Amino acid sequence: MHCMNRRKFVKSAAITIAGLSVPNFIDSLVSDLGASERIDLAVARGASPAKITRAAVDAMGGMKKFVSRGDIVVVKPNMAWDRTPEQAGNTNPEVVAEVVKMCFEAGAKKVKVFDRTVNDPRRCYVQSGISDAVKALGADISYVDERKFKEMNVKGEAMKTWPLYTELFEADKVINIPIAKHHSLATLTMSMKNWMGVMGGSRRQIHQRLDESLVDLSGFIKPTLTILDAVRILTANGPQGGNLADVKKLDTVIAGVDQVAVDSLGATLFGMKGSDLGYVKMADKRGLGTMDIAKLKIKKVNI
Amino acid sequence: MQNLRRTSQGIFLLLFLFLFIQTESKGRDALGYPAKIFLDFDPLIFITTIFSAHAVQKAFYFSLITIAITLIFGRAFCGWVCPLGTLNNIVGAMKKGRPKTEDRNLYRVKYYVLIFLIISSLFSLQLAGIVDPLSLLIRSLSVSVYPLFSYGIRAVFDAIYSADIKGVTALSESVYSILKKSVLSFQQPFYNQSLFIGALFFLILGLNLVEKRFWCKYLCPLGALLGILSRFSIFKRSVSEGCTSCGACANVCQGNASPDKKEEWRDTECYYCWNCDDVCPQNAVSFGFSGKKAAASMDLGRRRVITSMASGVIAVPLLRATPLSKSEFINQRLIRPPGSLEEKEFLKRCVKCGECMKVCITNGLQPTLLEAGLEGIWSPLLIPKIGYCEFRCTLCGQVCPTGAIKKLNLEEKAKVKIGLAMIDKGRCLPYAHARPCIVCEEVCPTPKKAIWFEKAKVKDRNGKEFIVQQPRVDLELCIGCGICEAKCPVVDKPAIYVTSIGESRSKENRLLMEGY
Repeated sequence: MHCMNRRKFVKSAAITIAGLSVPNFIDSLVSDLGASERIDLAVARGASPAKITRAAVDAMGGMKKFVSRGDIVVVKPNMAWDRTPEQAGNTNPEVVAEVVKMCFEAGAKKVKVFDRTVNDPRRCYVQSGISDAVKALGADISYVDERKFKEMNVKGEAMKTWPLYTELFEADKVINIPIAKHHSLATLTMSMKNWMGVMGGSRRQIHQRLDESLVDLSGFIKPTLTILDAVRILTANGPQGGNLADVKKLDTVIAGVDQVAVDSLGATLFGMKGSDLGYVKMADKRGLGTMDIAKLKIKKVNI
Repeated sequence: MQNLRRTSQGIFLLLFLFLFIQTESKGRDALGYPAKIFLDFDPLIFITTIFSAHAVQKAFYFSLITIAITLIFGRAFCGWVCPLGTLNNIVGAMKKGRPKTEDRNLYRVKYYVLIFLIISSLFSLQLAGIVDPLSLLIRSLSVSVYPLFSYGIRAVFDAIYSADIKGVTALSESVYSILKKSVLSFQQPFYNQSLFIGALFFLILGLNLVEKRFWCKYLCPLGALLGILSRFSIFKRSVSEGCTSCGACANVCQGNASPDKKEEWRDTECYYCWNCDDVCPQNAVSFGFSGKKAAASMDLGRRRVITSMASGVIAVPLLRATPLSKSEFINQRLIRPPGSLEEKEFLKRCVKCGECMKVCITNGLQPTLLEAGLEGIWSPLLIPKIGYCEFRCTLCGQVCPTGAIKKLNLEEKAKVKIGLAMIDKGRCLPYAHARPCIVCEEVCPTPKKAIWFEKAKVKDRNGKEFIVQQPRVDLELCIGCGICEAKCPVVDKPAIYVTSIGESRSKENRLLMEGY
């Protein structure tokens, strides 16, 4: 990727655009035409979770490119489990805090943080370290209010309608911050699967048609930005873990607008390919994003 | 003096209610508040637990303070501290008219109750918690009154929210969020038997309309215990020569202490409320330290005492002569909280106060009816379908006043088995219906998952072959927390469910050959 010349890049970018139907992506592309280089994905590595998060977003053009003054921003981490940060069951609290901080720096009026948890919400919010970390920055962290789920027309292949969390759709911008983990049915859970945290109702049923459902959901919710936390990844006994032997420290954060591309690159962290994941393959086929990372412009930063 | 007493009663009632509301997880490992401290100060619980279990919780030494105070000041606890006494006072205030002046011997009943409880506890039967006022109050509030209160408030605010009235809803929502942060529970609690336990509680309150502080005067065994202790107290009432026997004091006496009878004043029945002193037109009544015993003798009647003692003895075999006492007769549904002692020892300690049910983070701990025999009525059992046992939560052991549920640290908790999960292959989606589902495995909390998969080749009705992952339970690793049962998509009758077999606390209720 480093040695890709301009001609090759334009060619691959054209192919990428052809396969895309995400308006956000096109928007950012159009507004970027004047810029010297367009980046699809940024990968930052380093010892400080906060610094690499900032570096990855900066490599994508900085938070100001995604968040405008006065915006209400939803930041959606994965904090579904009663686990501590070392156990890598939830998004790293330092990564989440840095994103919140950057949103405020970019002029966000309000930053909301929530997740519909699997374990008890109070324990998940506290034990993940996210509640304390973002409260200190002035974010609105709230427990999911069951009254705020509304049946929405997802119009997907498996998911026709589903109760989803209205606060997500009322926000001006949505930033998805998943963590990369093992999952026995999805194989890996990263950004696309993180949307289960805004599903109401009996979401356990979607496992019967998981791949289709995840693609349906990801096509319906279009995040402004996706930041994949791979500071620690969970390689087995996911998605909640609990055994430190299953945790691998990678000190990595991946940022991108295309969630399919983020998940596809995320798979390589586990020694897999995007095509090993049913939902990534399906999303690529449906034109939701790009699975083939060879076609992407990836910027790598080491700090 | 009346104002001072009322202030004291108010402070203790508010403290009690505050601690009650704080008996709820905030997401951290420790509760942060001494939720059970009122029970720690309760000498009835203290004494009966020593007798029944021959063991004592360190915190219980607080109750020696209550005993010491009673030995000095008499039954002041009833008049100045007891939250149930205060509630009785409040409800009693609604009863108009003078108290009946005829001398009721009914006041002796509470002593018979006390004798019954003490004797049966000597024979290892712990029933005191059923009628101990503090235990009774906490249980009634936890299981019935608070859920009712919470339900009512939520229903009102939910109605305003869904009506979406301009201006009003915004205001009501901000009030609601304040209530949620202060007096409302995190989630609406639901309990089995809330109607039954609540009815008994409201009956006790309602008896105040028959006679003020009916419970305290006639029934309360803690009042009886403190009454006996107050025989020895050095703080006594005296009436000076100025008394004209006008009887004003008899009308305001909260207990049944016959204050108008001067030398026949019953110190065992006096709450030291000071009403007689306040009301006396001659100012002839005074309380003070004195060595002399200027009080009526206590006559309970020898036959009645012997009868209550005999009842206490007979109750033991009567309650225990059930099939549940046979070691091989095990109730599969009796899943006890993690850290619970072996069943016999558990029952010797559990005072059915309901603290564990109040604090249970998933609402899974529920009061038993007959699952543990009549002896174990209202003791806690886990119903995973209502709420599972949260893997890293140890709150029930933290609030148990008598150590019936041991206080566990996180490492110990992770190893305690409260039962085992079994799969119903006839209902499980990958087994019975060849549909993918992994929810039980996904939510299984043990570090190495106790649910694993066997890949099976199955065919659909057109003969097309495909692979599904069929869950299996690793009996060594499963701790019986029941999250699999609680989250199973086969919601009406889960395809995986927990029964009590394999519980660490039992030697009989085991499945595996090897010990663990």
